[in-house]
Amino acid sequence: MNIESTISATYNWCQFTPAFALVGLAALLLMADTFLPKVPKRLYAFIGAAGAFLAAYFMAKAPHFNTFGFLACFSTGLCLLLAFDYKAISCASIGGEGNEEGTGEFYALPLVACAGILCLTQAKDLIMLFVSLEVITLTSYVLTGYFRRNQGSIEAGIKYLVLGALSTGLLVFGAAWYFGMSGSFSLDTDVIASALRGGVAGTATVAVGFLMAVALLFAGAFFKVGAAPMHVWIPDVYQGAPTPTTAWLAVASKTAGFAMLCALVVPFVPLAIPGTNLGNIFICTFSLVAAATLLIGNLGALRQNNAKRLLGYSSIGQAGFIMVFFLNLNGALEFLVSQYLLAYTLATVGAFYAIAMVRTQRGSEEIAAFRGLGKSNPRTAFLITVCMASLAGVPLTMGFLVKMYSFIALVGAVQYTSCLYWLLGIMIICAAAGFYYYFKMIRAMYWDKAQPEDKPLCVPVSTGIVLSLCTLALIILGTLPLLVSFQ
Amino acid sequence: MIPLAHYLILSGILFSIGLAGVLIRKNIVVVFMCLEMMLSAANVALVAFSRAQGTQGIPVYDAQVLSLFITAIAAAEVAIGLALIVAMFRSRRSVESTALNTLKD
Repeated sequence: MNIESTISATYNWCQFTPAFALVGLAALLLMADTFLPKVPKRLYAFIGAAGAFLAAYFMAKAPHFNTFGFLACFSTGLCLLLAFDYKAISCASIGGEGNEEGTGEFYALPLVACAGILCLTQAKDLIMLFVSLEVITLTSYVLTGYFRRNQGSIEAGIKYLVLGALSTGLLVFGAAWYFGMSGSFSLDTDVIASALRGGVAGTATVAVGFLMAVALLFAGAFFKVGAAPMHVWIPDVYQGAPTPTTAWLAVASKTAGFAMLCALVVPFVPLAIPGTNLGNIFICTFSLVAAATLLIGNLGALRQNNAKRLLGYSSIGQAGFIMVFFLNLNGALEFLVSQYLLAYTLATVGAFYAIAMVRTQRGSEEIAAFRGLGKSNPRTAFLITVCMASLAGVPLTMGFLVKMYSFIALVGAVQYTSCLYWLLGIMIICAAAGFYYYFKMIRAMYWDKAQPEDKPLCVPVSTGIVLSLCTLALIILGTLPLLVSFQ
Repeated sequence: MIPLAHYLILSGILFSIGLAGVLIRKNIVVVFMCLEMMLSAANVALVAFSRAQGTQGIPVYDAQVLSLFITAIAAAEVAIGLALIVAMFRSRRSVESTALNTLKD
């Protein structure tokens, strides 16, 4: 079989059109950055956001709806809008006030990374998976360390790069052994089943080596989603990175991680039947990882005072709730995961818009900087409250519904493996802990006294629009299913 | 003809040295070198496997393609890493990982 037919048997060029379009747009923006120095740079953010939303729109209309890709485009667009809103944030530490020299890439790179996510969601073999993953990771290193005069940004960039490269090393070593044991890079159930039987010769060492390879691959995916043993980078990187980048890492990069995890898990679904040997290994690994992720994320968040760091721990905790879906492989895995991610994305993006607004106008990212917003900006405070309530899982918001689905998935898994009840206890503790730390921000807004020098925040237009739309979507998507099912 | 196992042992040793270096060493430039070593370990394993999986002396080229991609991506990673290290040295006058102490709980 020649190369041409091998590729077209696995991939269809048409499915990569949005990715090509996004890369083309990014290249255009980079060219414009060089040749049109007079154009204000934030215009690029606006054009980039428009491009990302357009890509999301066309993907929603495509015959095969790519949920993760849609989410990635949508959240990249929102994060670029955030960068558009806060020129001060985006070019503060590059060349001092007012100098926009060399800030163009900051708006073009998220588009490249978004194209990487789109390719990742369609990967059917490890080469595609690896290369598109690296497109995402390399751009996020650059975006994280972008403020090269800011101590926190550089430190976050280096920490992310070292730990990220470590996970890449694990991933490629896993890929090498996957190929060595199965003779193919294809993520296909038949290939996996044959390797687990010990290949053509049926030797036990092949099966063991293959399991090691798969474990290394999962380690790489766990790094991207921030699941327990590989979560250490998240708090530091989230705190140090520029706010639009943090928002992007929290939503789009998390989506990429779960897309990758799904791509790795889905071929195993017919093989990992509860009760079989492989099924037990699966359930055991994922329940331990989910439990550790939940505990570290939610308990670690309790004592945080920096809002970005708090959202970092929150993103670990929420990833723990998503990991629970992987215990029950019979359900519509991708649908449940992307539904949870949608709720998480809407609320988290809202929170980051609020943080960026407070950061630029009060000069602090501490939770205490939200003091008195309930009095001075009652409407904005209400919108932030809804976002936080949704993250915590208050009923009538989408966050509650998706958290409930996570509990339902666990109960479904308990039917097959009755020794999972302990995880239910951990989930309840963690959901309760969530109420404490998300409500810290709400408490600061409504109960803390405003300082005399505090002025009411002036809300930029796009912040107002995005926050209101996110809140509206959270409430509508949180209440509508109840109304429909009670009729 | 050298058997496959020898290549795999070599690659395993390279990988372990790299991993240990990343975990132990304090100098970030050395940490980067160790990370590159981990990627090279994967390359050695890939090329060895590509020979071993082949039939009639023709290797399976998929694995070699991946090892080319790994080389390219490792180069890009080093470019970004060195840029960050230079920026770090300018602001902190140190490339030790102990100097990375701004962000912590």
